[in-house]
Formats: sequence, structure tokens, C-alpha cells
Amino acid sequence: MGKKQNIRNFCIIAHIDHGKSTLADRLMECTGQVSQRDMEAQLLDSMDIERERGITIKLAPVRMFYRADDGEEYEFNLIDTPGHVDFTYEVSRSLAACEGAILIVDATQGVEAQTLANVYLALENNLEILPVINKIDLASARPDEAKKEIEEVIGLDASYAPLVSAKEGINIREVLEDVVKYFPAPSGDDNAPLKALIFDSYYDNYKGVILFVRIKDGSVKAGDRIKTFRSDKVYDVVETGTFNPALLPKDGLYAGEVGYIAASIKSIQDVAVGDTVINANNPADEPLPGYKKVQSVVFCGIYPLDGSKFNDLKDAILKLQLNDASLIFEPDTSVALGFGFRCGFLGLLHMEIIQERIEREFGLDIITTAPSVSYKVIKTNGDEIYVDNPSHLPPVSEIDRMEEPIVKADIYSPPDYLGQIMDLCREKRGTFLQMTYLDKSRVQLEYHLPLNEIIFDFFDAIKSRTRGYASFDYELVGYKPSKLVKMDILLNGEVCDALSMIVHEDSAYSRGRTLCENLKDAIPRQLFEVPVQAAIGGKIIARETVKAMRKDVLAKCYGGDITRKKKLLEKQKEGKKRMRQIGNVEVPSEVFMQILKTNKD
Amino acid sequence: MAGIYVHIPFCKAKCRYCDFASFPDKITFAESYMACVYREMALRKEDLKDYVFDTLYIGGGTPSVVDESYIAMLVAAAKKNFNLVKDAEITIEINPGTVSAGKIDLYRKCGINRYSVGLQSAIDRQLRELGRIHTLNDFIACAKLLKGQNFNADVMIGLKDQTVADVLQTIEVAAANSASHISMYALTPEDGTPIYTDYLNGELPDGDEVAAMYAAGVKRLQKLGFERYEVSNFAKKGMESRHNLNYWRRGEYIGFGVSASSCINNIRFTNTFDLDEYFKCILSGHLPIIDREEVDEEGQKEEFIMLALRTSAGISLKTYSSLFKSDFLAEFAPAIKKMSEYVEFSDEFFRIKPQYLFVQNSIIIEFLSV
Repeated sequence: MGKKQNIRNFCIIAHIDHGKSTLADRLMECTGQVSQRDMEAQLLDSMDIERERGITIKLAPVRMFYRADDGEEYEFNLIDTPGHVDFTYEVSRSLAACEGAILIVDATQGVEAQTLANVYLALENNLEILPVINKIDLASARPDEAKKEIEEVIGLDASYAPLVSAKEGINIREVLEDVVKYFPAPSGDDNAPLKALIFDSYYDNYKGVILFVRIKDGSVKAGDRIKTFRSDKVYDVVETGTFNPALLPKDGLYAGEVGYIAASIKSIQDVAVGDTVINANNPADEPLPGYKKVQSVVFCGIYPLDGSKFNDLKDAILKLQLNDASLIFEPDTSVALGFGFRCGFLGLLHMEIIQERIEREFGLDIITTAPSVSYKVIKTNGDEIYVDNPSHLPPVSEIDRMEEPIVKADIYSPPDYLGQIMDLCREKRGTFLQMTYLDKSRVQLEYHLPLNEIIFDFFDAIKSRTRGYASFDYELVGYKPSKLVKMDILLNGEVCDALSMIVHEDSAYSRGRTLCENLKDAIPRQLFEVPVQAAIGGKIIARETVKAMRKDVLAKCYGGDITRKKKLLEKQKEGKKRMRQIGNVEVPSEVFMQILKTNKD
Repeated sequence: MAGIYVHIPFCKAKCRYCDFASFPDKITFAESYMACVYREMALRKEDLKDYVFDTLYIGGGTPSVVDESYIAMLVAAAKKNFNLVKDAEITIEINPGTVSAGKIDLYRKCGINRYSVGLQSAIDRQLRELGRIHTLNDFIACAKLLKGQNFNADVMIGLKDQTVADVLQTIEVAAANSASHISMYALTPEDGTPIYTDYLNGELPDGDEVAAMYAAGVKRLQKLGFERYEVSNFAKKGMESRHNLNYWRRGEYIGFGVSASSCINNIRFTNTFDLDEYFKCILSGHLPIIDREEVDEEGQKEEFIMLALRTSAGISLKTYSSLFKSDFLAEFAPAIKKMSEYVEFSDEFFRIKPQYLFVQNSIIIEFLSV
């Protein structure tokens, strides 16, 4: 296929909700890739969860052809990127496969915190950046201010930025022309040994693992024998192709191109995203630079509701990890919940999405424990360990001191809400760093905040206290000594390890009280009275009681009622299957998330 | 031994909690209806010729609202078509607002020997709230007419604004007017009935309050000489309802009339709930069955257990092993162990401890397979 100088590989980066998927759809439409009639609402966001939440999580590449004003036909490979702060890793993966990035800035909102983070990521990857001002059709659009912000805040020349409306299809062709004009063609040598970067993959039931690759050097076609740098296993390529965005077979992929390889790869573990594909008979001698390994920030336990489904859960997590290398996990056991996994995530949203995908895509009912962060524990013998599972904390006598992860949070807001934001940060044990007026309508606040305060309800709290106006971004900056204690929850006198948590000493009492109250309401009444207690060390700090059930009977039962009453009893029994037995207490799976609530509802 | 049930779907006014097939505006069809019931019995005569019946129960609706001569003919038709034993228990449900000396006299003469009287409450305000057509005085008058006869009084708990004292007063009234049997059951607000809105509005007592009424009621009943033999049923010695005991022992029974259910030879079936359809079927010589289900062995076991555990006697282990060729205590050892706190057993019986009968669902479901 085509001349290398006529290929453009690029991605789109934007703040969540600034119109990235809509612009992608428009570009595809404009290049005749998909007729408008056939188009589903948002083409690239093909996962159910993505469409429901209106966000992009997975990379979905697409190839299109564009005849430019210079008369030449160009091949565009667009690699979509997620916009949420949790998915920085995914973004860096797509960036590594591109030469250019379209930066969308909302003409009504200007540059957002998230936009900045991704722009810096793109610059780090040496990408050419084309700013595009979107939503100019809206009455509140202020394109000149948006341009000024791009120049002042990011330092990019925005004078040539196209003014578009992806929704209304205004000036889309100008964007396509700029892609040709400003983005470099890929370099790379067709005749050199094969080097292809795996930037994504997924498991197809018929074809095995499908690798999404950017060919940096050389070529690959059906019949070639390939391997990856990190593994010795050799595979025969069965099919190569491009993205339509569905898989579209094509004979051979060449340097500079973006496409997929199917090679009957059975085992998910043998191919890692970020690894380099090489030709087994003519291997390149060194790999492409991989990705920066990301750090998990939030951890939780995931257990099958039905203990016998452990292997199904394992398969599900393995398959998810195949195209989401940022998901890490290891087997774990809990006295209360049995066998399961301790999983690490990039953030809370990432965690929620993985949980939802396990339940929806694999049809598994799971119990998730409350999220935790990774604490640094310095033991009395000098050892330094990291603990993300409260039940793995060493005995108090072996702990010299503990440190908790701290983030630097950038909060952007109109000045009207400064007071509310500062109150919230104070409540969350934040340390004020500085405040910058970006312009008269936007202030940037910088705080140091303990990560474990953020993973609970910080995001919702900041949105509700600023009527949604503030946005917020954070990055891990290190660890800080803190007075931390482990709080246990006892159900009917027995510690339930899945409910243990690490809390700051000052908030332990109020957290314990609230948690007991919430648990009292969430645990259904049993045949016996169930005390619910919070304890630190051996000391009880809060107690509530779930009263014994007193009425649980079907009032009358005569001739005509028997079948119906039996069905009612069966339904009641069915409901019990959604519960987990902790000691002799039956607990609904939602109970384990009660820890998340910091207020009584 | 098996039972016969006949449903009379007429009444003067529908009670606010009533979820049964009952048509207050169609009482003019009573004569035709009764003729159809006699005919339905005739249709069944051949199938059931080998069965011996020892109870006949005439329920509703309000059977006492139709002319007493139809009831007499009904009892005669049952005797004519089926082997009804000589000392059969023959019960009729009556509303205290619909009786007269002549009516009771004819009932007695045609062979009815047990009555079930819908008292519900001794508080007139509560009777009005329920949509009952009678008062406390109607009940007292009715009880006088039944003097010397075997009768049950229904008592409801869980009514709007009802107190424990109200329940005890109602029980006292029933006992003082010489009821030999008392059914004390909790109001169940069924979706679609007017009282369901009271429930949705939170106007009915909650589970704890109902449990307190029940516990106090049980205590008072026992003091008055009524023994609990099923969670909602209390009787003076030897005065238990044979007809209802047959249900709880998972015995066989045949039902006639709209909405009547039957269980014969492990097949459960139900008649149509629609009066017109019932007429059409019978007049064209067809059985008016709308639902038919064969109960397999697993289902039979579950029904047997669920019904027997409602009773104070519990499961007869001998009966269980002769019915299912299995040792109940061995078969359900894990569930029994789990529920050990709440059950008791010997080599003869297995039952829920008396103090846990009112929370029996949570215990029974441990014995269902599902």
C-alpha cells in the first residue's frame, strides 16, 4: 500500500466532554469512511459502558482515506484516546503510535487541567500538536479567549487553529487539510528487520489474541513467523489488516502503518502491551522503547459472590488485563470472603469500570471490598514494606511508624467557589500550597492532600460544592508520616477482615460511628441479634445492633395458596444467594462498599 | 382421606383487604352458579369414585349470603356424588351480618357441623376501616345463634391503629362467646387491594409491632385453653379443623367453583377466576381448569416440608420416610445443623421450636433446594 509520505498517524487529545468522539466521527464521515445513515451515535466508543457514560476508555483505532487539496490521497490512522485522569497510561500508549495529536479545546470552557496533562504527555513523546477550537456554534463560545489561553497556558501558537463545530460539522475539512500540512509522515525503513509496537490487544474467540500494532520498521504479512522481544514463543501470522473501525483484512503491513496482527496466539500472558513484535527468522536486535510502567494508586479486593466461581473470575481478569495492562492483580484470600484477587487500579473510575466490565462482559457476580491506597510501613526492625490491604498490616508491636501517599492536587475553579474548596481541602487534611489567578474568571489552587482522603468522596464533594464548575487533577508526589490506625469491624463478635480499613487517628471515631450506623441499616435482620462494632486494637470505639427478626411468615396458607406461597419462599431463598455468610451472619454483597460512605444517608 | 372445597364467590360488599374471587354485584347469578357447581360435581363423579372424603368446606366470598336452601342442596349434591364419610366435618364460612335463626337451623339440619365466623376485630372502628359489613353486636348475636355448635372465629392482627390491647380484647370476645377455634392471622396487604395504599403510606403496623401482637395473642389464647396447632390456628382440645390439617399434611383435595384449587394424585389444578367463563365451561360440559401442574418428587418433598413446618406437630418422620423412602434427618443433616438453634426433633418428629414459628420462612427456606 501507499507511499509512506502519504500516511498520517495521529490521535486526538481533549478534556472529557470537549467533543473528542464527535470530532472523530465527523472526520470519518468527511472521509467517506462511514455513511451518516449507518452511523451509530458515537462510533468509536463501542463498549457499552463507554457509550453509557459518554466517555472513551479503550483505544479504538480507525483508518481513513482523504483526497487533499493538493490532489494526493492520504491514509489517516486515527487512534482515539481516553480523556479521564485515570487513563493517562492508555493515552501514553496511543501517543507512542502517532506522529501528531489534535488538541481539542472547548471554545466555551478553555483549557482544562486534564488537557494540560495530556498535552505535556504528547510533547514528551515528540508529537506535533494541532490545536482545534471546538463548539464555536454555541452562544457562549469565546474562541479568541480559548486561543489566548492556549498560547499563555500551554505555550503553543494557536493563531492557525481551526475554529470548528464537530456537532454541526463546521470547518471539518480545514482540520483534515491541517493534518496533512502540519503532521509529519512516519519514518521507518520497509526493508529493515520488523519492529512493531504493540499498543493494544484483545482476545477474539475465533482468532485468538489480536495485536494492535504500529509498524516502526520493516513489514509483516500472513505466513511470516513472528515473536515478541520478551517471549521466546514463535507464532505464524494468519492475518494482517487495518481498522474500519472493525477489523478489515489487508495483505501485509509496512513501516509507518497502523494495523492488527492475528497469529493464533492462545495465551494472554505471552504478549504484553508495550512489547515489540519482531520477525522470528530475521530478528531486530533491540526493542522499541516500551511504556513507562504505571503505578497502581487504588487497590481493592475482588471476590466471586459464589465461591465456586473463582476460576471464572480469574479468566475474566486475565482477559481484561490483556487489553488493559494497567490492571494489576494477585491472588488473595480473606477469612470472610474466601479466594479472590487483590487488584490495583489507576484510580477510582478505573476501578469502577473494571468491576462493571467483569459483571457485564463475563456475567459474574462479584463482591468488591472498599478501595485502599498503598501505605508505607516502617517496622521496628528497620524493614520498609508497602501495605495496600488493611488485613495484611503487621501487628502494632512491629510497627515503628507509617507513612501515607500524598498527592499534589490542582483544582481549577471560578473564584466564587474558593471558600468552599478551601473548606473541603481542610476537612480532607490538605496542605495549601499556592493560588494562581489564571485570568479573572479562573483560579488555580494547589494543595497537598492525602490520597486516601481523595479516593473516598472527594471528587463528588468538589463537584457538588462548586455546582460542577471546578475541575481537578492530581499526581502522586510521595509519602508523608501520618498517625494511622487500623480499624476493624466486628460482626456478631467476630472480626470481618474484608471490612477492615486504615484511617487517620483523628477521624477514626467519627468514621467508626458512621460506618456502624450504615452497616446496621445495610445488614438485614437475622434470626438472632447482631452487634456491629468498630474497634481499634482491642478497644471498641462504636457499636450498633441489628435487631433480631421478629416476623417472617406467610400469614395464611390453605388449598389455593400452596403453589404461590412456595414460589414466595423460593424467591426469598433466591435473594439469599446474593448474600455472603460471614461467621453466622448473612451479609449482602453491597455491604462491603458501605465503607465508602463517609456520611450517613 | 381427602377433602372437598366449594367456593361461593358472592358477598354483600368487598372488604378492603380482600384478594379472593368474589363479586358483590353479581349476587343475582347465585342460583345459576349453584346449579353449575352441582353440575361440576357430577362431571367429577366418575374420576373420584375411588376416593373417600372426610371433610367438606364451603368457603368464599361469603357463602352465608346466598339463600340457605342452595347450601342445603350443595351439601346434598356432595353426598350424592362422592363418598363423604358419615361423620365428615362440614364447615361453612359465615359473615355475622348475614345470618338468621332460620338460616342456621337449616345449615344444621342439612348436616353442617362446623362454622367459621369472620369476626376479624371486636373494635367497630376497625371493622369499618376494613370494609366489613358487620359490627361487634352482630357477632355477639351470631354467636348466640351458634350456641352449642362448633365454631371458629377469625381474628386479624396488623390492622391500622390496632394495639396489642385491641387484639387481646378481640380474643376475649371470641372466647367469651364460646368459639371453639380461633384463627389469628396477620393482615397481608396484597397489591391491587384498597388496603395496599394504606400499606404504601406506612399506615399499617410494622413487622415488630405485628410480632408483638402475635406474641401477646398466643399467650392469651393459651391461657384461655386454645392450643396452637398451626402458626395461625388455635383450638380447644379436639376441635382442630380437619379440613385445614389435610392441607398442611399435603393431603388430596378437590375444589369446585370459580378459583377453586385441587390437588389430586400429585397434580395441582385451579379453576378459572372468571365467572362467565366458568358458566360457559360447565354448561358445555367441560371442566373449567386454567392451570395444571404435575408436582414431581422433589416438589412433593418441598411442599410436604414447607406445609408441615407450619404446624406445631411438625414433620412426622415416619410419614416422611414412607412417602419418600428417605430418612429426613439424614437427608437434611446440613440444614438441620445450620438451624439447630431454632428446631427440635426426636425419632418421631421434626419441628420448628414454638418461639420461632413466627419467623419460620427463614428456617423453612434452608430446607428448599432451589
